[in-house]
Amino acid sequence: MYGRKGFKLISELDLYSDILPFNVGCMIEALIKEVLQEMQSLYDANVANSNAIRNDNNMALLPSVQLRHIALKRNKRCILAYIYNRMRKLKELRWELGSILPPEINTNLINAEVQWFQSYNKSLAKYMRSLGEDHGFNLTTNMVPPKTLYVEVKCVEDFGKLELDDGQVILLKKNTYHLLPRSVCEPLIRQGILEHKKYVSMEFPSYEQETQTIQLRSIKSDD
Amino acid sequence: MENNGDVQMTAENDDQEEEEVTAQSVLLAIEEAWLNEKFAPEILPHRSDLVDCMLQQITHMEENMKRLDKEDLRLMIHRMELDRIKYVITNYLRARLEKIEKYTIHILSQEATRSSEECYLTVAELQFAKEFLTNIEMLFKTIALQHMPGNFQTFEVDTLTVKPNLQTYVFLRANDRINGIIIPGSMDEEIDLEPGSQHIIQYSAVADLVKSGAVKLI
Amino acid sequence: MACCQSYIPDYFAITDILSTEERISCKIEVELPGLGFLDSSCQSENLKVGTKVEFPLWLAEPLKNLQNSVVSVDIPKIYKEGYRQILEADAEVIVLSKWNPFYYELGMHVRKLSDRDYEIITESLLQTFKSRFQLVMDWSQNAMSDPTLSIQLPRLERDLFLIGQQAKIRLVEWLKMGTNELVVSEITTNLKKRKREQYEFD
Repeated sequence: MYGRKGFKLISELDLYSDILPFNVGCMIEALIKEVLQEMQSLYDANVANSNAIRNDNNMALLPSVQLRHIALKRNKRCILAYIYNRMRKLKELRWELGSILPPEINTNLINAEVQWFQSYNKSLAKYMRSLGEDHGFNLTTNMVPPKTLYVEVKCVEDFGKLELDDGQVILLKKNTYHLLPRSVCEPLIRQGILEHKKYVSMEFPSYEQETQTIQLRSIKSDD
Repeated sequence: MENNGDVQMTAENDDQEEEEVTAQSVLLAIEEAWLNEKFAPEILPHRSDLVDCMLQQITHMEENMKRLDKEDLRLMIHRMELDRIKYVITNYLRARLEKIEKYTIHILSQEATRSSEECYLTVAELQFAKEFLTNIEMLFKTIALQHMPGNFQTFEVDTLTVKPNLQTYVFLRANDRINGIIIPGSMDEEIDLEPGSQHIIQYSAVADLVKSGAVKLI
Repeated sequence: MACCQSYIPDYFAITDILSTEERISCKIEVELPGLGFLDSSCQSENLKVGTKVEFPLWLAEPLKNLQNSVVSVDIPKIYKEGYRQILEADAEVIVLSKWNPFYYELGMHVRKLSDRDYEIITESLLQTFKSRFQLVMDWSQNAMSDPTLSIQLPRLERDLFLIGQQAKIRLVEWLKMGTNELVVSEITTNLKKRKREQYEFD
């Protein structure tokens, strides 16, 4: 059946939606190539048939042309949807991890995607610079509602020197603890360099499991 | 921001009348704009007047804070306040960018029908939207479209358009009294909203009211 | 910061592409020259009138909707009266994902294939969803630790289940009056996990 390869592309995306969608580039490229090949052969068959319809007035060929046309459109949709959804993941990464991608991800991208990422970075930077009066306004910090000014963090990876807004320089070494301004820590915590230590203020009773069946029943008996 | 209450700013309201506003009222207005943007499925008319005003205020506050002693307790409180304001603005602008990225083609084509006074996007947002579209087109072309046969190479703008779902239900609180909202899907059932009352309703029925400020989304 | 919206499939919607791959029983109404191979049991070059084939929905639907329908379709049995009655009787006990993982999404397409039952199928989908919604909600609010539950639900319900679960977790966090912990990006966590796996593998 037509469209199987295109479907495979999309299932691939669906399967890895919670983990990482970036499969080894060459395998996907091969799959895309196969879809494109199917499109080419469908197209060639349709060109031949259309000529026959025009020249010999052989209208009996029309339904087959229509069928292939539908299959062509389907294949196009699968490929574009695949590229589009990968692009969206990539976009999320920009907001989560910043403008430089970890090498593990970079190697799984094809050239055009790297290009896209750079262009996106540029557009976004230009937009952020346009905000406010002089030096722009960074939209990639302050991502969660602030509750405290300082947070206690544990450094889980050697990072090196870090300069704070007030000019103070601190050394982030593995297994050291620091009390730092929240805004400085936010990106480093997202990147997994620091770990947020929180105080457990009070124990909250957990309502899991044991109440489940009871609640289900009681709700049902209402109606 | 209590001590900045004396800083007076001017902003234009709908009647083009100059009105004196305080930093506090701008903050309240931007909070409302933020929640509306967050909950409305479509992009709303921009409020760069508020954003610019608030960003100016931030710079101002930061300047003031530099003059305070590092151990001063007021410094902590100001910082905290500042972070909260920054969060609101960031979140508001990000919500708009996300819509622009998702509904790029739709938003651009709608924007093209609007005059410069009634446009929904700021100049920078419009620029961003156009670049975003160009970049996607480039991506599609390089990887796939140029390798497709014949007329399948086209970047079909109509097919690729993603539109917001205006039938989404939203929670709202009425600011003014509003009469005769027709419930979508009903024959011509009407409801009236009392000021301060809260409702859940299809967005399409109240889209204009959100934009005019007669109701706010919550 | 996902904008939460109701389900309307767009061109790029993964769920829509996946659900429309479902096979539909079709009968060929107009001969299709040169396409005999689409029916594996067919020996001839052309696909003859009257041949029964299984076409994916994305193909069957537009072929049927052509001015001269190329195929006539038989809607999947899970949307026919017998199955609808089962749902009417007790929708909550059905493992709906076994009927079809995209039960609702597919149903929204299938109803359009049937001129006669369009309204009935629409109504049945709505009623089924309504009567199962309470169940989905209960599960998402209570069973924090059973990961198998979500597999039993068709996609639409599964997504709602996961959203509900997230909301519950956030509520509990908030009730704990936590200081709004900053967490590591999920992507970073996954990357580290994969690195470790690779390391162990080597």
